[in-house]
Amino acid sequence: MDPLIFIIGYITPYIAFFTLIIGLIYRVLRWLSVPVPFRLPVAPAPITYSGVLKRMSLDLLTFRSLLKGNKKLWLGGYVFHVALAITLISHIINVYFHDLWSVIGYGWYEAVLYSGIFFLATLAFLLVRRLVLPNVSYISKTSDYVILILLITIVFLGVYMRSFGLVDVASVGSYMYSLLTFNPIPPPENIWFITHYVLAQILFIYIPFSKVSHLIGWILSTTRNMRNITRWRRHVNPWNYPVEVITWEEYYKKFKEELETIGPGGERR
Amino acid sequence: MKVDLTQPARKYKLYATWKRDMETLNLPFPREWSHTQFNLPPDWREIALKKMNEVVNKFRSVKLFLDICVKCGACTDKCPFFLGTLDPNNMPVARQDLFRSVYKRYFTLTGKIFRGLVGAEELTEETVELWYTYFYQCSQCRRCSVFCPYGIDTAEIMIAAREVLTAIGLSPRSLTEAIAKCETVGNHMGIPPAALLSAIQFAEEEIKEETGIDVKVPINKKGAEILYVPPSADFFGGPHWGTLKGAIKMFHQIGLDYTISTYASEGGNFGTWLGYEHMKKINKKLVEEAKRLGVKWILGGECGHMWRVIHAFMDTMNGPLDFLEEPISPVTGTKFEHAASTKMVHICEFTADLIKHGKLKLNPDANNQYIVTYHDSCNPARVLGLIEEPRYILRNVCRNYVELDPNVNREKTICCCAGGGLLADETIELRLKAVKPKIEAIKRTGANFLACICAIDKAAFTEYFDHYKMPITVGGVHELVGNALVFD
Repeated sequence: MDPLIFIIGYITPYIAFFTLIIGLIYRVLRWLSVPVPFRLPVAPAPITYSGVLKRMSLDLLTFRSLLKGNKKLWLGGYVFHVALAITLISHIINVYFHDLWSVIGYGWYEAVLYSGIFFLATLAFLLVRRLVLPNVSYISKTSDYVILILLITIVFLGVYMRSFGLVDVASVGSYMYSLLTFNPIPPPENIWFITHYVLAQILFIYIPFSKVSHLIGWILSTTRNMRNITRWRRHVNPWNYPVEVITWEEYYKKFKEELETIGPGGERR
Repeated sequence: MKVDLTQPARKYKLYATWKRDMETLNLPFPREWSHTQFNLPPDWREIALKKMNEVVNKFRSVKLFLDICVKCGACTDKCPFFLGTLDPNNMPVARQDLFRSVYKRYFTLTGKIFRGLVGAEELTEETVELWYTYFYQCSQCRRCSVFCPYGIDTAEIMIAAREVLTAIGLSPRSLTEAIAKCETVGNHMGIPPAALLSAIQFAEEEIKEETGIDVKVPINKKGAEILYVPPSADFFGGPHWGTLKGAIKMFHQIGLDYTISTYASEGGNFGTWLGYEHMKKINKKLVEEAKRLGVKWILGGECGHMWRVIHAFMDTMNGPLDFLEEPISPVTGTKFEHAASTKMVHICEFTADLIKHGKLKLNPDANNQYIVTYHDSCNPARVLGLIEEPRYILRNVCRNYVELDPNVNREKTICCCAGGGLLADETIELRLKAVKPKIEAIKRTGANFLACICAIDKAAFTEYFDHYKMPITVGGVHELVGNALVFD
């Protein structure tokens, strides 16, 4: 076997997969290791846990903050994420549960291809708006373009090789499944698949180190996941420390004459 | 959305803190400096980076928000300071990026390796100049957070970032002057006890003239049931005056056993905008005074950022407040359960409860000369969620009440653009530009009275209406309550 294929087929997939999982776990633990000294939800905010669950679920399922302020971006971003989810789910089905297609119907298997086209279209929209809109272009760094171009390339290759039957999905599925059982069979030596596969591995490795970690980070957003109960239940700050202020006695000494005009001992009843 | 790459807002800088105030407040590196000549200490870079490391490891929100922003741009056209100036650095994400880029460069792996490709930037004197300029062009109103898919709150990043600026000796006079007065005299305005007494007596005389009733406001009264803490601006006059009188009249009508304090005569808290330390100090005086006077609970007046501190920080910073009791309205018997721990109730919550129980004698016709609209202040709306109570009161004390455009109302409110330390003469040009959409919305309602529950709103909008020659009176919700109160 070609040594390059050996590395790409047997070694880097594990590196990529474990970098993604361990990287994200590390990332989450790192965030969790930093305390939340204050309770600062953005109001109007719920006062019950079920209210928070509802708020967070609606945020996740409808992207409603985006909907409130930017309808075009909402449409692009929402369709993009739905297409991404469909793609991921169908990949998982292809690899581990390929019998499932016969249950839910091969029509759905075909439909996934169309979601891939929506996927590409929304990615193109996100890229074009980043290039064209002056405000978005101003805040974009090279890495913001790189991630979009990487995704576009991966998705394009995926859609292209499937549309034109350039890849045998079943043999890719068997190979991927063999990786999972730690008893890998040789990967299909198909240039389309290998390129798609290598880029996907790069993406996996990149995710935990980049803004793409928002996929898990949003859950920890303290302005959204906290209850608006600060005056009702005390929130404890682990690094709280005492401060000194001018005391009444010092203050009284300083303003004695003036305070006495208010009344004896500064008191007016 | 267009941006003006010449950075037109870069010229608006708050003036530097006086050396003497830096000494009074024990701020780092007391020295002569100005907004154009920083005279930074020699090891400023190490100090700044050390402080930055400290804040990102003390506040999960700050670290998380710096890490997960995807630069989607949803916030870009939501900040009034950007809309007013088109200065790209006033887009919330770009404002954060001034801080984020340095965080990335020194504290993240990708930033250390890929530098500019991932937006990581060196910390230079120019960066510090941009920081001082644009971190003090944020009123910390949280409007951007409402539209952010992850709720990234620029205000939280700005509080942390200003701590870094303070650590290298950069803080604006608009904050430190007031903080120094508050910590030494008792309030931001620097009103000493005798002057406060005169103001109270003057208010009592006016009430006597207007209604014929004799009122006496207790001051520093030990054993009173309730400590009433308004922002000190209320004692000062101007658009705040009616609010003070309205509250006094209302307390008189319901026979409330209360007191005001000279030692803690400031509800407001400019420390909020400088950093957590001074926020805590100013707030602590309130706690100490409640303890000394032996009151049961505290009633807070109409003030915006004051309520950010009370609602979100007071109990955590200076609690537990066990020496106080869970607030119960002595008039209606209502338990203010939502304030069970902090034991501090907002005057709008208190008054709305009175009205609900029919305990106020009101004649809304007394406000018939006004068409009233309500301005949601950023803090009550987006920190407390206090949105319905003031409206409920207004509908009961006046006949002509109109709502503002929903795009700049309620939780989407555009603030007065003078919070966050920006209420200074040197920023007036900037503020007038930023507040324009709100002013237009107010104009469209045809109102001639703008009701608000924040002292900074009252001061700022009075200034703006003067400038635009708009015949609109600015006043508190409790000014209108006071007008409507009937005394037999």
